[in-house]
Amino acid sequence: MTQSHTHSAAATGSSQSAAARTHPNGNPDMGYNPDGVRHTDSALPRRPRSPVLHDYAPEGPAPGTLAFRWIHGSSVAATNRDPRVQVVQYNEDTHVLRQNVCVHWEAPFTYLLFGNTGALLIDSGATAEANHYPLRATVDAIISRWAQARGRGTVPLTVALTSGEDVAQNQGLVQFAGRPDTTIVPRPLAAMKGFYGLASSWPAGTGRIDLGDRVIEVVPTPGAHKDGISFYDPYCDILFTGDLLFPGRINISNDRDFVASLERLQAFAASRPVKWLFGGHIEMLFVPGKHYRRFVNHKPHERVLEMAPAVIDEALRYAREIRGQDTILIRPDFVLLNGVSPDARTQAWPEGVPNITPPFHY
Amino acid sequence: MDRRTFLSYNAAAAAVPLSGVTLSTLAQSASAATGPAIDFKSNLPAAGAFPAKWICGSSSCMDNTDPPVQAHWYNPHTAILRQNKAYSYEAPFAPLYFGNDRVLLLDEGYTQHRNEWDLRGSVDQCIDEWCRRNGRDPASLELLVAFSHLHGDHYLAVNQFADRPNTRYMGQTHEEMVGFWGMTNFPEERVTLDLGGRDILIWGSPGHVVSEFAYYDSYTQILYTGDMFYRGRCYISFWQPWFDSMQRLIDFCDTHPVTHVMGCHVEISKDNEDYPYGVTWQPNEAPVEMTVQQLREAFDYAKTITEPGIYFTGTVFLCNQTRGTTTIDVNPYRYS
Repeated sequence: MTQSHTHSAAATGSSQSAAARTHPNGNPDMGYNPDGVRHTDSALPRRPRSPVLHDYAPEGPAPGTLAFRWIHGSSVAATNRDPRVQVVQYNEDTHVLRQNVCVHWEAPFTYLLFGNTGALLIDSGATAEANHYPLRATVDAIISRWAQARGRGTVPLTVALTSGEDVAQNQGLVQFAGRPDTTIVPRPLAAMKGFYGLASSWPAGTGRIDLGDRVIEVVPTPGAHKDGISFYDPYCDILFTGDLLFPGRINISNDRDFVASLERLQAFAASRPVKWLFGGHIEMLFVPGKHYRRFVNHKPHERVLEMAPAVIDEALRYAREIRGQDTILIRPDFVLLNGVSPDARTQAWPEGVPNITPPFHY
Repeated sequence: MDRRTFLSYNAAAAAVPLSGVTLSTLAQSASAATGPAIDFKSNLPAAGAFPAKWICGSSSCMDNTDPPVQAHWYNPHTAILRQNKAYSYEAPFAPLYFGNDRVLLLDEGYTQHRNEWDLRGSVDQCIDEWCRRNGRDPASLELLVAFSHLHGDHYLAVNQFADRPNTRYMGQTHEEMVGFWGMTNFPEERVTLDLGGRDILIWGSPGHVVSEFAYYDSYTQILYTGDMFYRGRCYISFWQPWFDSMQRLIDFCDTHPVTHVMGCHVEISKDNEDYPYGVTWQPNEAPVEMTVQQLREAFDYAKTITEPGIYFTGTVFLCNQTRGTTTIDVNPYRYS
């Protein structure tokens, strides 16, 4: 469409036009965005003639915010009308996607990162059916919009998981089968190690996913899952920690590995700037130490997603404390469950943490 | 009228003044307000059938296409309602017993507001349907809205009936519950509620909570045991009262014919796999009805229990004073 900046009173139905006598408040039969009007498409920059090269090495972390409240289900899940995938742009090259709580109670977060030569999707949601959870269609739409703004024909996509075995994060993978220009990191543990070049060094060492001037580092972090992985983005300075560390009930599957992974993560974070940790879920309430149980599809009082990097030190300290014990331990921003049922509850309240009664929740 | 006379009074006679202001939209049924009386005392137990499969939620709650309330007609005079799991994970069952004069609704689900979950509409629809079949005026039937015990997933929708004409509903305190059935010696006293030729026997059944009743319908001979005994995790808060209540149920089965024992929930699969607390999809759900034999086996098992803990009797899980600290499920990703 050619854009004309010439104001046409007749076309806009302005009260100054000749049409004003018949339609003083605008002609309802006309489209909302007639040609020549600066409508919402004008907010996009003109399509560039050649690919735009973005500078992914700013001083300090790239600016970004999570400026929207997450969709959080509804008291009656059957009548929920929220989007099935909520997309929040952290910045132009970093997208956070959340699965609707009424499609699946795990409501996992999925991350889509762009670099100059490719894109990376971290995790794939808890539902395979595309009509219930259209992850692929949403990702395709974001990518084509981004490609248009950056003047690119194709954007190669890599799909990687924070854990191949986690059914709350691997179900959407099938939607990407056969997608052109797409690399899916293999799910079996041995193949995954090989893909990242970690076959001999696992769980030490780090792998790399190069998106073009934005090199995502792959840190093996087993403990919550046997094949647990964390990702570090040096552009936004964000660690994506999946099920290892998130504001919720952290089920430790092997406490030796869990402590070792947190130690490695602590050393890793000490050598790089880290602004936030983004986990795979939210299960905590906004008051310290209180949390939703499993299977809830109405969570109006959730904590925010982002965690400060100091949470690694805290998690490490308390993970060491409960190593070898079957127990549940509450901290303000997370709950550690070691060797107990995922439904386990405790009467023991941590010392020094204000015990605030939250609004009613399940 | 005191509570003793209330249990057996002739509700149809008392309701006559109301038939002039009937809510029924069916003009013909208003004029035919007195169909032939139904005989609830012969050829017992009345035949009836449970469905092969109840609605049991869906993998994605917001894509659930089942009705908010499933109404299953066990026989022409007995409906059993079930709440949709996508409306509440508790998905309780609620029998609706019809008599010549009155209708008894036991349990009101776990969603409070009518605009979110219209239990009253579903109950009214069942009553209209029954009246159309039997030539009655819905306005002439008194509706009794009672519940099995004092927990939210069994009474939350009770306020939907607050302004319903010709309706009595149970209050939400122990005293009001016991008083509703005119009991003075809870839990041992057994009272008989006359729905108009159809007797419901009611007695105390504490153990899961203090305030709970067992209901026996003399027409279908279904024994409704609420949450103190159901196909799932029987959370026993008070062991001795629960054990005594089980003894009362067994004694009752020794002296009365019982076709089915029915609880309020199902939380177990046909393969005896536990569905964890709160799940909204139970694709291979076990039937809600149990046999007297299963009740007896559970009681025999319970006689061997001396410690708090979770025990599987072959039919149900007996969670003896464990709620809040232990569950059956395990972390599936554990490795060594």
